[in-house]
Amino acid sequence: MGRILIVDDTMFMRTLLKNILFSGGHDIVGEAADGVEALARYQELKPDLVTMDIVMPKVNGIEALKAIKAADPSAKIIMCTAVGQEQMVKLAVKSGAKGYIVKPFQAPKVLEEVKNVLSA
Amino acid sequence: MKSVPAKVEHEGRWVPTKVGIGEDRFRIDAPLKEEIPYKTVVNLEEKKNQIIVTAGADGTATYRIASVEKVLSVLKKFIITQASAYRLNAFFMSPAVRGGVLIHDARWEKGTIAVMKTGIWFVSQEKQVCIPLEDVAGIELTSREIQEKDLNVVKIDHLSENDVVTSFVLCPMTTLQVLYNFLKEATHDTEVSEEIDPLTGQVAMLVYSGMDSSSIENMLKLSHRDLDAIYEKLLDMRLAEVLYVRKEVQLTAKGVRYISESVKSQNE
Repeated sequence: MGRILIVDDTMFMRTLLKNILFSGGHDIVGEAADGVEALARYQELKPDLVTMDIVMPKVNGIEALKAIKAADPSAKIIMCTAVGQEQMVKLAVKSGAKGYIVKPFQAPKVLEEVKNVLSA
Repeated sequence: MKSVPAKVEHEGRWVPTKVGIGEDRFRIDAPLKEEIPYKTVVNLEEKKNQIIVTAGADGTATYRIASVEKVLSVLKKFIITQASAYRLNAFFMSPAVRGGVLIHDARWEKGTIAVMKTGIWFVSQEKQVCIPLEDVAGIELTSREIQEKDLNVVKIDHLSENDVVTSFVLCPMTTLQVLYNFLKEATHDTEVSEEIDPLTGQVAMLVYSGMDSSSIENMLKLSHRDLDAIYEKLLDMRLAEVLYVRKEVQLTAKGVRYISESVKSQNE
Protein backbone atom coordinates (compact mmCIF):
# COMPACT_ATOMS: atom_id res chain seq x y z
CA MET A 1 0.00 0.00 0.00
CA GLY A 2 1.29 3.44 -0.77
CA ARG A 3 1.16 7.10 0.22
CA ILE A 4 -0.31 8.88 -2.77
CA LEU A 5 -0.55 12.48 -3.95
CA ILE A 6 -3.43 13.20 -6.33
CA VAL A 7 -3.00 16.02 -8.84
CA ASP A 8 -6.03 17.08 -10.90
CA ASP A 9 -7.67 20.44 -11.52
CA THR A 10 -11.22 19.14 -11.03
CA MET A 11 -12.41 18.35 -7.55
CA PHE A 12 -14.74 15.68 -8.96
CA MET A 13 -11.83 13.70 -10.42
CA ARG A 14 -9.74 14.14 -7.27
CA THR A 15 -12.60 12.84 -5.15
CA LEU A 16 -13.18 9.93 -7.50
CA LEU A 17 -9.52 8.91 -7.49
CA LYS A 18 -9.36 9.40 -3.73
CA ASN A 19 -12.28 6.99 -3.27
CA ILE A 20 -10.82 4.42 -5.63
CA LEU A 21 -7.34 4.54 -4.09
CA PHE A 22 -8.68 4.58 -0.53
CA SER A 23 -10.80 1.50 -1.31
CA GLY A 24 -7.59 -0.21 -2.40
CA GLY A 25 -6.01 0.46 1.00
CA HIS A 26 -3.80 3.38 -0.02
CA ASP A 27 -3.26 6.56 2.01
CA ILE A 28 -4.05 9.80 0.23
CA VAL A 29 -1.43 12.11 1.71
CA GLY A 30 -2.36 15.18 -0.31
CA GLU A 31 -4.04 16.78 -3.28
CA ALA A 32 -3.04 19.49 -5.74
CA ALA A 33 -5.04 21.32 -8.38
CA ASP A 34 -2.25 22.48 -10.71
CA GLY A 35 1.37 21.82 -11.63
CA VAL A 36 2.85 24.48 -9.35
CA GLU A 37 0.99 23.15 -6.34
CA ALA A 38 1.94 19.59 -7.35
CA LEU A 39 5.68 20.28 -7.13
CA ALA A 40 5.31 22.08 -3.79
CA ARG A 41 3.15 19.31 -2.31
CA TYR A 42 5.54 16.64 -3.64
CA GLN A 43 8.55 18.24 -1.97
CA GLU A 44 6.63 18.70 1.25
CA LEU A 45 5.00 15.23 1.43
CA LYS A 46 7.46 12.94 -0.42
CA PRO A 47 4.69 10.51 -1.49
CA ASP A 48 5.35 6.99 -2.81
CA LEU A 49 3.35 7.78 -5.94
CA VAL A 50 1.69 10.68 -7.73
CA THR A 51 -1.35 10.50 -10.04
CA MET A 52 -0.97 13.47 -12.38
CA ASP A 53 -3.59 14.97 -14.68
CA ILE A 54 -2.10 16.36 -17.91
CA VAL A 55 -4.34 19.27 -18.82
CA MET A 56 -4.24 21.73 -15.91
CA PRO A 57 -3.99 25.50 -15.48
CA LYS A 58 -0.73 27.37 -14.74
CA VAL A 59 1.74 24.50 -15.23
CA ASN A 60 0.45 21.41 -17.05
CA GLY A 61 1.01 17.80 -15.99
CA ILE A 62 3.92 17.14 -18.36
CA GLU A 63 5.83 20.18 -17.08
CA ALA A 64 5.03 19.25 -13.47
CA LEU A 65 6.22 15.69 -14.16
CA LYS A 66 9.52 17.02 -15.51
CA ALA A 67 9.95 19.34 -12.52
CA ILE A 68 9.27 16.58 -10.00
CA LYS A 69 11.59 14.16 -11.82
CA ALA A 70 14.31 16.84 -11.85
CA ALA A 71 13.95 17.26 -8.10
CA ASP A 72 13.63 13.52 -7.41
CA PRO A 73 14.60 11.14 -10.25
CA SER A 74 13.14 8.18 -8.34
CA ALA A 75 9.63 9.73 -8.21
CA LYS A 76 6.88 7.37 -9.35
CA ILE A 77 4.26 9.19 -11.39
CA ILE A 78 1.19 7.85 -13.19
CA MET A 79 -0.22 10.21 -15.80
CA CYS A 80 -3.94 10.57 -16.06
CA THR A 81 -5.78 12.20 -18.92
CA ALA A 82 -8.88 12.21 -21.07
CA VAL A 83 -9.69 10.04 -24.06
CA GLY A 84 -8.20 11.47 -27.25
CA GLN A 85 -5.00 12.68 -25.62
CA GLU A 86 -3.25 9.32 -25.82
CA GLN A 87 -0.65 10.98 -28.06
CA MET A 88 0.74 12.47 -24.87
CA VAL A 89 1.84 9.00 -23.78
CA LYS A 90 5.16 9.11 -25.61
CA LEU A 91 5.99 12.53 -24.28
CA ALA A 92 5.04 11.53 -20.73
CA VAL A 93 6.95 8.25 -20.88
CA LYS A 94 9.97 10.08 -22.33
CA SER A 95 9.73 12.49 -19.43
CA GLY A 96 9.77 9.67 -16.90
CA ALA A 97 6.13 8.68 -16.23
CA LYS A 98 5.84 5.12 -14.93
CA GLY A 99 2.23 4.52 -15.93
CA TYR A 100 -0.68 6.03 -17.78
CA ILE A 101 -4.43 5.95 -17.20
CA VAL A 102 -7.07 7.28 -19.55
CA LYS A 103 -10.30 8.87 -18.30
CA PRO A 104 -12.89 7.49 -17.95
CA PHE A 105 -11.30 4.68 -15.97
CA GLN A 106 -12.51 1.71 -13.96
CA ALA A 107 -11.51 1.27 -10.32
CA PRO A 108 -10.02 -2.26 -10.44
CA LYS A 109 -7.79 -1.36 -13.39
CA VAL A 110 -6.55 1.82 -11.72
CA LEU A 111 -5.69 -0.13 -8.57
CA GLU A 112 -3.88 -2.74 -10.65
CA GLU A 113 -1.80 -0.06 -12.39
CA VAL A 114 -0.99 1.65 -9.07
CA LYS A 115 0.06 -1.70 -7.60
CA ASN A 116 2.30 -2.42 -10.60
CA VAL A 117 4.00 0.96 -10.42
CA LEU A 118 4.45 0.83 -6.65
CA SER A 119 6.02 -2.62 -6.79
CA ALA A 120 8.28 -1.83 -9.77
CA MET B 1 -10.20 -33.62 -44.40
CA LYS B 2 -8.97 -34.00 -40.83
CA SER B 3 -11.58 -35.29 -38.35
CA VAL B 4 -11.62 -34.22 -34.73
CA PRO B 5 -13.91 -35.07 -31.81
CA ALA B 6 -16.54 -32.47 -30.93
CA LYS B 7 -20.06 -32.10 -29.64
CA VAL B 8 -22.94 -30.60 -31.59
CA GLU B 9 -26.33 -29.46 -30.44
CA HIS B 10 -28.97 -31.71 -31.95
CA GLU B 11 -32.68 -31.56 -31.06
CA GLY B 12 -31.96 -29.55 -27.91
CA ARG B 13 -29.14 -31.66 -26.49
CA TRP B 14 -25.38 -31.99 -26.94
CA VAL B 15 -24.36 -35.05 -28.95
CA PRO B 16 -20.76 -36.36 -29.34
CA THR B 17 -19.69 -36.51 -32.96
CA LYS B 18 -16.76 -35.78 -35.24
CA VAL B 19 -16.11 -32.62 -37.18
CA GLY B 20 -14.03 -32.75 -40.35
CA ILE B 21 -12.09 -29.58 -41.12
CA GLY B 22 -11.12 -29.11 -44.77
CA GLU B 23 -9.60 -26.32 -46.83
CA ASP B 24 -12.88 -24.98 -48.18
CA ARG B 25 -15.57 -26.67 -46.04
CA PHE B 26 -16.21 -28.45 -42.80
CA ARG B 27 -18.26 -31.55 -42.13
CA ILE B 28 -20.33 -32.58 -39.13
CA ASP B 29 -20.79 -36.36 -38.87
CA ALA B 30 -23.90 -38.20 -37.62
CA PRO B 31 -26.43 -37.36 -36.41
CA LEU B 32 -26.27 -34.12 -38.47
CA LYS B 33 -24.40 -35.50 -41.50
CA GLU B 34 -23.87 -32.05 -43.01
CA GLU B 35 -21.15 -30.53 -45.15
CA ILE B 36 -20.89 -26.76 -44.90
CA PRO B 37 -18.74 -24.78 -47.37
CA TYR B 38 -17.10 -21.89 -45.50
CA LYS B 39 -18.27 -19.43 -48.15
CA THR B 40 -21.91 -20.16 -47.20
CA VAL B 41 -21.32 -19.09 -43.58
CA VAL B 42 -22.96 -15.74 -42.86
CA ASN B 43 -22.34 -15.45 -39.14
CA LEU B 44 -20.02 -16.74 -36.45
CA GLU B 45 -20.54 -16.24 -32.74
CA GLU B 46 -18.44 -17.43 -29.86
CA LYS B 47 -19.34 -18.53 -26.37
CA LYS B 48 -17.18 -20.28 -23.83
CA ASN B 49 -15.85 -23.46 -25.52
CA GLN B 50 -18.46 -23.33 -28.27
CA ILE B 51 -19.09 -21.57 -31.53
CA ILE B 52 -22.39 -20.88 -33.27
CA VAL B 53 -22.16 -21.01 -37.05
CA THR B 54 -24.99 -19.67 -39.20
CA ALA B 55 -24.92 -20.73 -42.85
CA GLY B 56 -27.03 -20.81 -45.99
CA ALA B 57 -28.37 -18.14 -48.30
CA ASP B 58 -31.29 -17.39 -45.98
CA GLY B 59 -29.08 -17.77 -42.90
CA THR B 60 -31.41 -20.23 -41.22
CA ALA B 61 -29.10 -23.20 -40.67
CA THR B 62 -27.44 -22.82 -37.30
CA TYR B 63 -24.84 -25.19 -35.91
CA ARG B 64 -23.63 -25.13 -32.32
CA ILE B 65 -20.28 -26.85 -31.98
CA ALA B 66 -18.36 -27.43 -28.75
CA SER B 67 -14.80 -28.65 -28.65
CA VAL B 68 -11.39 -27.89 -27.22
CA GLU B 69 -9.93 -24.44 -27.90
CA LYS B 70 -7.34 -25.73 -30.38
CA VAL B 71 -9.99 -27.32 -32.64
CA LEU B 72 -12.32 -24.31 -32.45
CA SER B 73 -9.43 -21.98 -33.19
CA VAL B 74 -8.59 -23.79 -36.46
CA LEU B 75 -12.24 -23.93 -37.50
CA LYS B 76 -12.78 -20.25 -36.66
CA LYS B 77 -9.77 -19.22 -38.72
CA PHE B 78 -11.05 -21.03 -41.82
CA ILE B 79 -14.54 -19.59 -41.36
CA ILE B 80 -13.43 -16.01 -40.74
CA THR B 81 -11.09 -15.95 -43.72
CA GLN B 82 -13.59 -17.49 -46.17
CA ALA B 83 -17.11 -16.70 -44.90
CA SER B 84 -19.56 -14.50 -46.72
CA ALA B 85 -18.68 -11.28 -44.87
CA TYR B 86 -17.16 -7.84 -45.41
CA ARG B 87 -13.48 -8.62 -45.02
CA LEU B 88 -10.35 -6.50 -45.10
CA ASN B 89 -6.68 -6.85 -44.42
CA ALA B 90 -5.63 -4.52 -41.67
CA PHE B 91 -3.49 -3.98 -38.64
CA PHE B 92 -5.24 -4.11 -35.32
CA MET B 93 -4.40 -3.56 -31.69
CA SER B 94 -6.78 -5.26 -29.30
CA PRO B 95 -6.95 -4.57 -26.44
CA ALA B 96 -5.00 -1.28 -26.40
CA VAL B 97 -6.65 0.14 -23.27
CA ARG B 98 -8.50 -1.84 -20.61
CA GLY B 99 -10.53 -0.03 -17.95
CA GLY B 100 -8.70 3.21 -18.75
CA VAL B 101 -5.25 1.68 -18.29
CA LEU B 102 -2.95 1.40 -21.28
CA ILE B 103 -1.81 -2.13 -21.99
CA HIS B 104 1.97 -1.89 -21.82
CA ASP B 105 2.77 -4.71 -24.24
CA ALA B 106 -0.02 -3.92 -26.75
CA ARG B 107 1.24 -4.03 -30.32
CA TRP B 108 -0.08 -3.78 -33.85
CA GLU B 109 -0.89 -7.14 -35.40
CA LYS B 110 -1.23 -7.81 -39.11
CA GLY B 111 -4.33 -9.81 -39.93
CA THR B 112 -7.81 -9.99 -41.35
CA ILE B 113 -10.94 -8.29 -40.12
CA ALA B 114 -14.28 -9.84 -40.93
CA VAL B 115 -17.46 -7.94 -40.23
CA MET B 116 -20.26 -10.41 -39.62
CA LYS B 117 -23.92 -10.02 -38.74
CA THR B 118 -23.45 -9.92 -34.97
CA GLY B 119 -19.80 -9.07 -34.51
CA ILE B 120 -16.41 -8.04 -35.82
CA TRP B 121 -13.63 -10.62 -35.90
CA PHE B 122 -9.91 -9.86 -35.86
CA VAL B 123 -7.69 -12.75 -36.88
CA SER B 124 -3.92 -12.83 -36.95
CA GLN B 125 -1.35 -15.62 -36.71
CA GLU B 126 -1.58 -15.54 -32.94
CA LYS B 127 -4.95 -14.04 -32.09
CA GLN B 128 -8.67 -14.36 -32.73
CA VAL B 129 -10.65 -11.56 -31.17
CA CYS B 130 -14.41 -11.12 -31.50
CA ILE B 131 -16.22 -7.91 -30.64
CA PRO B 132 -19.97 -8.55 -30.57
CA LEU B 133 -21.77 -5.51 -32.05
CA GLU B 134 -24.06 -5.39 -29.00
CA ASP B 135 -20.97 -4.78 -26.83
CA VAL B 136 -19.70 -1.83 -28.87
CA ALA B 137 -19.84 1.33 -26.75
CA GLY B 138 -18.25 3.79 -29.16
CA ILE B 139 -16.77 4.20 -32.63
CA GLU B 140 -14.45 7.01 -33.63
CA LEU B 141 -12.44 7.79 -36.72
CA THR B 142 -9.36 9.41 -35.24
CA SER B 143 -5.62 9.68 -35.71
CA ARG B 144 -2.85 8.03 -33.76
CA GLU B 145 0.90 8.44 -33.82
CA ILE B 146 2.42 5.29 -35.28
CA GLN B 147 6.16 5.18 -36.03
CA GLU B 148 6.27 8.96 -35.67
CA LYS B 149 3.52 9.52 -38.24
CA ASP B 150 -0.05 10.59 -37.53
CA LEU B 151 -2.19 7.91 -39.17
CA ASN B 152 -5.95 7.52 -39.35
CA VAL B 153 -7.39 4.69 -37.28
CA VAL B 154 -10.81 3.48 -36.20
CA LYS B 155 -11.09 3.40 -32.42
CA ILE B 156 -13.61 0.94 -31.02
CA ASP B 157 -14.66 1.05 -27.36
CA HIS B 158 -16.36 -2.14 -26.28
CA LEU B 159 -17.24 -4.23 -23.26
CA SER B 160 -15.19 -7.33 -22.56
CA GLU B 161 -15.51 -9.44 -19.41
CA ASN B 162 -17.07 -6.49 -17.53
CA ASP B 163 -14.21 -4.17 -18.53
CA VAL B 164 -14.40 -1.31 -20.98
CA VAL B 165 -11.77 -2.00 -23.61
CA THR B 166 -10.42 0.10 -26.49
CA SER B 167 -9.19 -1.49 -29.72
CA PHE B 168 -7.73 0.17 -32.82
CA VAL B 169 -7.89 -0.74 -36.52
CA LEU B 170 -5.40 0.63 -39.02
CA CYS B 171 -5.76 0.29 -42.80
CA PRO B 172 -5.96 2.56 -45.90
CA MET B 173 -8.32 5.52 -45.42
CA THR B 174 -10.92 4.41 -47.99
CA THR B 175 -11.32 1.00 -46.31
CA LEU B 176 -11.26 2.60 -42.90
CA GLN B 177 -14.11 4.90 -43.90
CA VAL B 178 -16.18 1.91 -45.09
CA LEU B 179 -15.53 0.08 -41.82
CA TYR B 180 -16.35 3.17 -39.78
CA ASN B 181 -19.61 3.78 -41.66
CA PHE B 182 -20.64 0.16 -41.29
CA LEU B 183 -19.96 0.12 -37.55
CA LYS B 184 -21.70 3.47 -37.08
CA GLU B 185 -24.79 2.10 -38.77
CA ALA B 186 -24.68 -1.27 -36.99
CA THR B 187 -24.39 0.37 -33.57
CA HIS B 188 -26.82 3.20 -34.23
CA ASP B 189 -29.11 2.00 -31.40
CA THR B 190 -26.53 2.74 -28.72
CA GLU B 191 -25.89 6.35 -29.79
CA VAL B 192 -26.79 8.92 -27.13
CA SER B 193 -28.96 11.67 -28.56
CA GLU B 194 -30.55 13.01 -25.35
CA GLU B 195 -29.25 15.97 -23.34
CA ILE B 196 -27.80 14.82 -20.01
CA ASP B 197 -27.58 17.29 -17.13
CA PRO B 198 -24.18 17.62 -15.39
CA LEU B 199 -25.24 15.89 -12.16
CA THR B 200 -26.66 12.88 -14.01
CA GLY B 201 -23.47 12.81 -16.07
CA GLN B 202 -21.35 12.78 -12.90
CA VAL B 203 -23.42 9.90 -11.49
CA ALA B 204 -22.97 7.98 -14.74
CA MET B 205 -19.21 8.57 -14.58
CA LEU B 206 -19.07 7.27 -11.00
CA VAL B 207 -21.09 4.17 -11.92
CA TYR B 208 -18.68 3.59 -14.81
CA SER B 209 -15.76 3.85 -12.40
CA GLY B 210 -17.26 1.13 -10.23
CA MET B 211 -18.62 3.21 -7.33
CA ASP B 212 -21.56 1.75 -5.41
CA SER B 213 -24.65 3.73 -4.43
CA SER B 214 -23.51 4.68 -0.94
CA SER B 215 -20.13 5.93 -2.26
CA ILE B 216 -21.94 8.02 -4.89
CA GLU B 217 -24.28 9.47 -2.26
CA ASN B 218 -21.30 10.41 -0.08
CA MET B 219 -19.22 11.84 -2.93
CA LEU B 220 -21.95 14.00 -4.43
CA LYS B 221 -23.76 14.69 -1.12
CA LEU B 222 -26.98 13.20 -2.46
CA SER B 223 -29.84 11.66 -0.52
CA HIS B 224 -30.93 8.12 -1.28
CA ARG B 225 -34.08 9.49 -2.95
CA ASP B 226 -32.16 11.99 -5.10
CA LEU B 227 -29.85 9.26 -6.30
CA ASP B 228 -32.80 6.98 -7.03
CA ALA B 229 -34.34 9.74 -9.18
CA ILE B 230 -31.09 10.08 -11.14
CA TYR B 231 -30.89 6.31 -11.57
CA GLU B 232 -34.45 6.41 -12.96
CA LYS B 233 -33.29 8.96 -15.56
CA LEU B 234 -30.38 6.75 -16.56
CA LEU B 235 -32.71 3.74 -16.80
CA ASP B 236 -35.25 5.68 -18.88
CA MET B 237 -32.52 6.71 -21.31
CA ARG B 238 -31.29 3.08 -21.43
CA LEU B 239 -27.88 4.25 -20.25
CA ALA B 240 -27.98 1.85 -17.31
CA GLU B 241 -29.65 -1.32 -16.18
CA VAL B 242 -30.66 -2.53 -12.72
CA LEU B 243 -28.00 -4.77 -11.20
CA TYR B 244 -29.95 -5.45 -8.02
CA VAL B 245 -32.39 -3.62 -5.77
CA ARG B 246 -31.01 -2.63 -2.39
CA LYS B 247 -33.45 -2.88 0.54
CA GLU B 248 -33.83 -0.46 3.44
CA VAL B 249 -35.50 -2.11 6.43
CA GLN B 250 -36.69 -1.27 9.94
CA LEU B 251 -37.11 -3.72 12.78
CA THR B 252 -40.46 -5.24 13.69
CA ALA B 253 -41.55 -5.68 17.33
CA LYS B 254 -39.95 -9.14 17.20
CA GLY B 255 -36.70 -7.64 15.93
CA VAL B 256 -36.70 -4.97 18.63
CA ARG B 257 -37.33 -7.66 21.26
CA TYR B 258 -34.39 -9.70 19.94
CA ILE B 259 -32.07 -6.69 20.13
CA SER B 260 -33.28 -5.72 23.63
CA GLU B 261 -32.79 -9.25 24.89
CA SER B 262 -29.39 -9.70 23.33
CA VAL B 263 -28.18 -6.43 24.88
CA LYS B 264 -29.65 -7.51 28.24
CA SER B 265 -27.85 -10.87 28.11
CA GLN B 266 -24.56 -9.11 27.30
CA ASN B 267 -25.00 -6.93 30.39
CA GLU B 268 -25.73 -9.86 32.70
